Amino acid sequence: MNRFYAIPIFILASVAMFFAGCRGKTEAGTDDDGVLKIVNLINGTRGDKSFFDSSAAGMDLIEAKYDSAVLTKTIEMSYDQPNWEPTLLDIADQDWDIIIVGTWQMTEMLEEVARDNPDKRFIIYDTEVDYSLDLGNVYSILYSQNEASFVAGALATALTKSNLPLTNPDKLIGFLGGMDIPVINDFLVGYVEGARYVDPDIKIAVSYIGSFDDTAKGKEMALAQYSQGVDIGFNVAGQAGLGQLDAAKDMHRYAIGVDSDQAEFFVQTDKATADLIATSVLKHVDKSLLRAIDMHMEGKAPYGSSEILGFDEEGVGIAKNEFYMAIVPEEIRELVDEIEEKIRSGEIEVSSAFGMDSEAINELRYSISP
Amino acid sequence: MNAVFEIVLNPLFAFSVLRVSTPILFAALGALISDKAGVINIALEGIMLISALAGVIFSAISGSAFFGLFMALFFGGLVAFGLGYVSLKLKTDVILAGIAINLIASGGTVFVLFLLTGDKGISSSLASKLLPKIDIPILKSIPILGPILSGHNILTYFAFISVFLVWFLLYRTPLGLRIRAVGENEHAVDSVGISVVKTRFIALIISGVMAGFGGAYMTMGYISWFSRDMTAGRGFIALAAESMGGATPLGSMLSSLLFGFFDALSNSLQLLKIPYEFVSMLPYVATVVGLVIYTTQKTKRMHRMRIKAESKKEVL
Repeated sequence: MNRFYAIPIFILASVAMFFAGCRGKTEAGTDDDGVLKIVNLINGTRGDKSFFDSSAAGMDLIEAKYDSAVLTKTIEMSYDQPNWEPTLLDIADQDWDIIIVGTWQMTEMLEEVARDNPDKRFIIYDTEVDYSLDLGNVYSILYSQNEASFVAGALATALTKSNLPLTNPDKLIGFLGGMDIPVINDFLVGYVEGARYVDPDIKIAVSYIGSFDDTAKGKEMALAQYSQGVDIGFNVAGQAGLGQLDAAKDMHRYAIGVDSDQAEFFVQTDKATADLIATSVLKHVDKSLLRAIDMHMEGKAPYGSSEILGFDEEGVGIAKNEFYMAIVPEEIRELVDEIEEKIRSGEIEVSSAFGMDSEAINELRYSISP
Repeated sequence: MNAVFEIVLNPLFAFSVLRVSTPILFAALGALISDKAGVINIALEGIMLISALAGVIFSAISGSAFFGLFMALFFGGLVAFGLGYVSLKLKTDVILAGIAINLIASGGTVFVLFLLTGDKGISSSLASKLLPKIDIPILKSIPILGPILSGHNILTYFAFISVFLVWFLLYRTPLGLRIRAVGENEHAVDSVGISVVKTRFIALIISGVMAGFGGAYMTMGYISWFSRDMTAGRGFIALAAESMGGATPLGSMLSSLLFGFFDALSNSLQLLKIPYEFVSMLPYVATVVGLVIYTTQKTKRMHRMRIKAESKKEVL
């Protein structure tokens, strides 16, 4: 008997839910009170201690600055790829003025959605859309992570050549990437050039974890690098890269963090780890999103084009916290400031991995490998 | 090529093989026990993840690494009990229930972590404790062997001791006999008055506790924190290791070590001038080759046995 009723009840319930869903949408559509509605779609979750946390923090900055003039929302689409496109399509159907997405994985989806919704504004960060598709409503934000990595490479090389207690005589530094993809290689290219700027004979151990969340594998690879004589390594692998920091603690070597100030995470609970993080290459997704909304408010946002944000626009930076001050000797700090200045003024030009073919990247990797 | 040997012959490399193999070995032994009882425990991955988080949380709360370990094992057993309840009592499909547990573990651990720390990625804000590393007194000072075998986490030693314990349990105790009998022919066991369901329950819970050891090792030995989905497929690799090891304790250990070897190799080889894609392919190639060798050996053996049996028949 029970089973007999179950099917019609189930169908009724689904239909009811379907209509409930529709009504929600139409209600949102009729409401128009001059508030700028901004939604940020994260294709991951908060808590990666780097990239997505920074993006979510950007929404907080916007909210804090514009208060009731904006309505912001951050939606975590999780790391489950099949979720992303339906969520983006749903959101595009709703009454949002500006839709923000990030990372290269979202590029193609956004190109399609932006074309179908010409009345909406879109911002995409850390990649750019193909503007030959006539996407006048999309503003792409790129970061000159290669420039910040240049400084990190120079710093690492200067440290490995110094007589600091935890360094060894080998002129060998490390690079731990998440995957062999352009945005990660952009860090690598800058890092290599910066390292060579200080010492043309420097060797760099390069590994890719092949994942952005397998922390244990990240640690294992970092341990392999450190035991080969690397005394300072740079991790560019999101959550998986955090494994390197644990490895640095085990082996008592130095590390360089990425995206957010990674020493900050360990200050409270694990100072021994924080004490080894010389600096972090910062990618200020948060500030760049606030900047974009600032420009939108002034009517100057360059929709239909992309911008590369560097040191000057505070798109990228180097964390100069207490640990940096404690680890890095004064003359190296001066060198870092000098290099940063030269990049700002254009005296040093850093190459980018974007537009480099894989042959060239391979050649670069081989030329520096120990 | 010399550089490859240089890496492989370095004692640090062998040390890392043991370290990498440990979680796989624990889970493989877990897979073995439930497999022997005729239940495929596909939930090992999820159980490891839950235990990994339990270890971090309870060691942080209590300030004792061993209490954290105890709770990790408790949760491992508890989740396995839950799997047993739905599959043995309520008769759902054990594979589906296992998949459900894996999915729940993946999302649920992040949810619990978020409730406790407000963080969705990593538990670095919890001051969790680590299980001790052990230097073995005399062995430590022996060249080559010392650096390879001494100084591991206590659980790494226990993993290899467990290989013997599991063998003893399965082949030298009445419970082990029952577990194997249930797996071989449940009707026969039933007919002599042994409860099939109860025996399978026990096997599943032991299996969950073994996976719990693996999980505790991940967060309290291997790394010093919990991070989202950190088991990263090790529970599934363990299932492969168990079946590649011919469903025996020693075989599971050897195949876990083989996986560990290639994993460690792929970590180190990247530093040489070998294409990254090739290196990251190695562990999987090793799996396929291992399985091929195993099955050809097995079919050859069966073929030989058949020939023997037939020749006996002819004599008769």
